[in-house]
Amino acid sequence: MFSRLIGGSKMMLGLHRPRRSLVILPDDTFLVSFPKSGNTWSRFLIANLVHPDQPVGFENIHRLVPDPYATAKRDFDRMPRPRIIKSHECFEPRYPKVMYIVRDPRDVVISQYHYHRKCKKIEDGYPMEKFVARFVAGDTCPHGSWGENVGTWLTARHNHPRFLLLRYEDMVADPRRELARVATFLNIPADSERILKAVERSSAEQMRKLEKTQADQCGLTKETRKDLSFVRAAKSGGWQKELPEHLVAKIEDAWPHLMTFLGYQLVTRKGPVPVPEFSGLVTSGV
Amino acid sequence: MLKRVIAGAERVLGLHAPGRNLAVFPDDTFLVSYPKSGNTWARFLIANLVHPHAKIDFSNVNRMIPGPEVTRNRDLMRTPRPRIIKSHQYFDPRYRRVIYIVRDPRDVVVSQYHFQRKRKLLADQYPLSEYVGRFVAGQTSFYGSWGEHVASWLATRHGRPGFLLLRYEDMVEDTARELSKVASFLGLSSTPEMVLQAVERSSADRMRALEKSQAQLFTSTKNTRQDIPFVRKAEAGGWRSALPEACALQLDEAWGNLMQWLGYEPVFAEKSNVAEDQHAGFFVGPRP
Repeated sequence: MFSRLIGGSKMMLGLHRPRRSLVILPDDTFLVSFPKSGNTWSRFLIANLVHPDQPVGFENIHRLVPDPYATAKRDFDRMPRPRIIKSHECFEPRYPKVMYIVRDPRDVVISQYHYHRKCKKIEDGYPMEKFVARFVAGDTCPHGSWGENVGTWLTARHNHPRFLLLRYEDMVADPRRELARVATFLNIPADSERILKAVERSSAEQMRKLEKTQADQCGLTKETRKDLSFVRAAKSGGWQKELPEHLVAKIEDAWPHLMTFLGYQLVTRKGPVPVPEFSGLVTSGV
Repeated sequence: MLKRVIAGAERVLGLHAPGRNLAVFPDDTFLVSYPKSGNTWARFLIANLVHPHAKIDFSNVNRMIPGPEVTRNRDLMRTPRPRIIKSHQYFDPRYRRVIYIVRDPRDVVVSQYHFQRKRKLLADQYPLSEYVGRFVAGQTSFYGSWGEHVASWLATRHGRPGFLLLRYEDMVEDTARELSKVASFLGLSSTPEMVLQAVERSSADRMRALEKSQAQLFTSTKNTRQDIPFVRKAEAGGWRSALPEACALQLDEAWGNLMQWLGYEPVFAEKSNVAEDQHAGFFVGPRP
């Protein structure tokens, strides 16, 4: 009852997080991804692109590219439009325009494992084997499994003119090219100087520096272990060294079709990928 | 500001309908469908099966099988567990046990058109062809388009434990057979007699009779036009006479593959977009 009272009063003042009740405006654009797929880096890139005259950091990112699970409703209502909003939700038909970032699930699982250690959700020696099993079952976050999250979006919106698919790996390989695609999608002038500046201001090195001084001003890093950094390797393909083969196989067995479609080459499977009964993008195990 | 105060007070008292923010319990079972796909009939069938000693009608079905869009949070939290919950939500990863009802979109669109007339959201002379265009674009409901809705569930859950796919058409053809599937899915030890009784108690005739006297007691019929019934024909394939050819073709073009996979033969199969690319088979967005 007491928590309901607090919840109710917060609601009257607009201090609550809108979460799934976010009021969506027709000119909103959403930056969506499964967690640990480069969403925060993308938020920095985009905030630096949209606000070239403002220093972007961990202390203000929640206002520049807000998160319905972290930003207060009041701040959403006060934002200048058009808004760019961060989200980890599975397919949401109400989102009018979507940039979707996808990342190799073999890297995502490692990144999530370390983030859970940082958030004290698992202890240091937690067996990776167990974590991968939970990851495949969709039990490591409230936004579905990797396959469910990616699969629902692709199934519903692939090829849609108001849907932009970005691969984290392509962003690492050539951030300027990918950010130029974002600029075009957002109808922002994509002059190379502005893009270069945004990329430099959002570099892993720069973000590591900001994290050092601003960790306590951001919900992503506040009250987490400070001996583990939020901005980690910022690379792709780390799984090849860090993930034992039998665990790679577990992930590849869960989503062979979807991974192949996205260009994440399978290394533990011999022969062609079987076509599941519900063809196309079945995200469940085969 | 006043609106916010009311919303805040409702929240304190649990009077709000939680919608997509519903608190989900691990032992919940969800009865999910796109709107106008036989969900209310299925609720009657299941409620009559689960509560053979209660008299299920429009006044109590919302309590027996509540829904996050129509039931107050307080009542949802008070519903005895394990709960069976009705929902029209597109894929929600938190729903672990799901009975999904799918219906031929050509019948769904006709049913939805009449329901919107009943709710005074459409004038009588509103052109059906225009409605079909909005239906394909997903603009006639809060839950995405038919294709997005169906595909979001099938792509994630088909063939997995905890997911039962029912076709409305199969339910019309052999109601007892389909309800028996539900009974085993729910782990009920229902005898054939009990299934038969639930089927009879949920017949279109009985539901029509109940609707006559209880229209004001049910969320979907309260304050709607009483000259248009909620329980309409309760049959499959009505679109063949109700839907102009051009409209049927429009639906084929949007979701031909998905429809074919579900056994809803496109009328103009040769013109529909049977995809060459095996990966692209079930994308439901527009074609490049």
